[in-house]
Amino acid sequence: MHASTVQGPLDPTLIQFITSQLSIQVAACSDAGEPTLVRAHGARVSADGCQLTLMIPSSQARELLACIAANGRIAAVFNEPETHRTVQLKGKDARIEAISADDAAALGAYVDRLAKRLQHYQVPEAFSRAFYAADPADLVALSFSPSAAYGQTPGPHAGEPLKPGSTP
Amino acid sequence: MNPYLSIDTLRNCLEGVIPAGVATCSRDLIPNVTYVSQVMYVDQEHIALSFQFFNKTRENILANPLATVLMVDPDTAARYRLKARYLRTETQGPLFERMKARLAGIASHEGLVGVFRLRGTDVYRILDIEAVPGAELPRQLPGRAILPALRQCSERLNHCVSLEDLFDNLLDALDRNLGLSHSMLLMLDEPGAKLYVVASRGYPSSGIGAEIPLGVGVIGIAAREQVSIRIMFTAAEYAYTRAVREQAIAEGLVDALEHVISLPGLNEPSSQMAIPLPGIRGLIGVLYTESQQQCRFSYDLEDALVTLCAQAGLAIQGLQLGDELGTAPALPDCLCAEDSPDDASPDSLRVEYHDRDHSVFIDGDYLIKGVAGAVLWRILSDYSERGRTDFSNRELRLDSRLGLPEISDNLEARLILLTRRLQERSPHLRIEKTGRGRFRLLLQRPLVLVPMNSCLINPPVASVDRA
Repeated sequence: MHASTVQGPLDPTLIQFITSQLSIQVAACSDAGEPTLVRAHGARVSADGCQLTLMIPSSQARELLACIAANGRIAAVFNEPETHRTVQLKGKDARIEAISADDAAALGAYVDRLAKRLQHYQVPEAFSRAFYAADPADLVALSFSPSAAYGQTPGPHAGEPLKPGSTP
Repeated sequence: MNPYLSIDTLRNCLEGVIPAGVATCSRDLIPNVTYVSQVMYVDQEHIALSFQFFNKTRENILANPLATVLMVDPDTAARYRLKARYLRTETQGPLFERMKARLAGIASHEGLVGVFRLRGTDVYRILDIEAVPGAELPRQLPGRAILPALRQCSERLNHCVSLEDLFDNLLDALDRNLGLSHSMLLMLDEPGAKLYVVASRGYPSSGIGAEIPLGVGVIGIAAREQVSIRIMFTAAEYAYTRAVREQAIAEGLVDALEHVISLPGLNEPSSQMAIPLPGIRGLIGVLYTESQQQCRFSYDLEDALVTLCAQAGLAIQGLQLGDELGTAPALPDCLCAEDSPDDASPDSLRVEYHDRDHSVFIDGDYLIKGVAGAVLWRILSDYSERGRTDFSNRELRLDSRLGLPEISDNLEARLILLTRRLQERSPHLRIEKTGRGRFRLLLQRPLVLVPMNSCLINPPVASVDRA
């Protein structure tokens, strides 16, 4: 499988997609090759388009945070539930940071939008709110420079490198 | 491994309602994360993931077998991380077919019909399960306690004294005790590689005598693979009515469908479950239940029905054996029936018999075919030639013209099928049980027997006026 190398800033279409309050899961692995994952609660991209930041509940991600601290390797999958459009971004330089006041403030909008998206599958709002509930004091930020992107929308082309400028 | 967390108690996380996430890692330590359509419970120590596309997850587990699954309870939103080690991929057989059927339901639920194609079932050993902290909804009380209901169903089966009694009690118990209001019981016709309906409940037309080929639809696949199949969402390609029709079209048998008894069944069931009935020497039938409600049948209910069907299968064989050896329990009432000539009509009843498939038509309407058809023709011929009305199962077994298999002939089940078809379709011609292994022909109109093709049992045309 060939990696789609991302050099420099992310494509604006891709930025727009991954920051549109999607379902996000983040994975890392230990130096012994043990993978782990957690759900993220929001994403933002730096003004220059080169840094992606994900909000993670630290209480749910003890092992993942240890992996990131050890080797910085990260993978994050973004899925739009109602369309199944999915993309995965990977990086090698992830680091743990404190969230900003803006990140904490964005949490409410993130949960509202996802609850709406999941209504497409008759998921009750109370469920979505419990599922995406997070205490801002528990959140940490993981920032990295995406170095590879893959389309993962279900189908025979899932897993192929995302072509620059294309939408997932 | 956390001793308090078992996949047995977390199975509703695996229903495919909220897709799980799977993380893997390449040999050079690059993580990968993806959504997976289905994580399936195999047993207390194993799960299976669907392998649909050649992708990075696939490449990774072949190089480094460790995977971690993040799954969600669809009722409470509780999250669990499950660590597992990839063992093998199965590309056919019971586990594969079970996953394929369930995947069809999930694809339909997610609006992805035609996108999912199961290439294999990846089996993993569970290494550890961790409860992920976070907000949860309180668990709702289950609507119906399954274990007490199973016990009640089981006790009812224990009291059945005849096969007919058992067929009816089984479906009635499922309805009363487990709320399964649409169900049917099918018996295996091994030489014919098909199943036939002997009892049904909850449909406008009973469909008794309707047939399903092995391997067709949920019921046919459950029978062929001898595995229980449970589908949580509407899966049109597994609807047996459609499957049977499509197979018939594919084989150029559309005309024949005109003479086939319509299968009972909901038009587009949202939940389906088919459970094999095991006997001592293998499959003897299938229990099928369905519902208009999505996610109606849980893993626990499937376990309950598998257990009940194991009992029912052995009970059916026990009652058949008792009938054969004359050791079946005494029937509760005397069922000796009297003919009632009051309703007799002077018009003759025209009975046509087609030797090719043993099909019987009464006054031009299709009644039955196969062994049950041959049995009916045999006793009507005996009646017309010798005036006999009382028959025994034993003499039928000894009659080589009926083509009963030597082992597991299911004769009693076929007689029940014939009795019920006659009750539904022919008020002037009936058979009734008169004791263990015995039955009587009841006729209220004169008979005209019309053998079609080259009939082996009777002379070309026999006009009978004894009724």
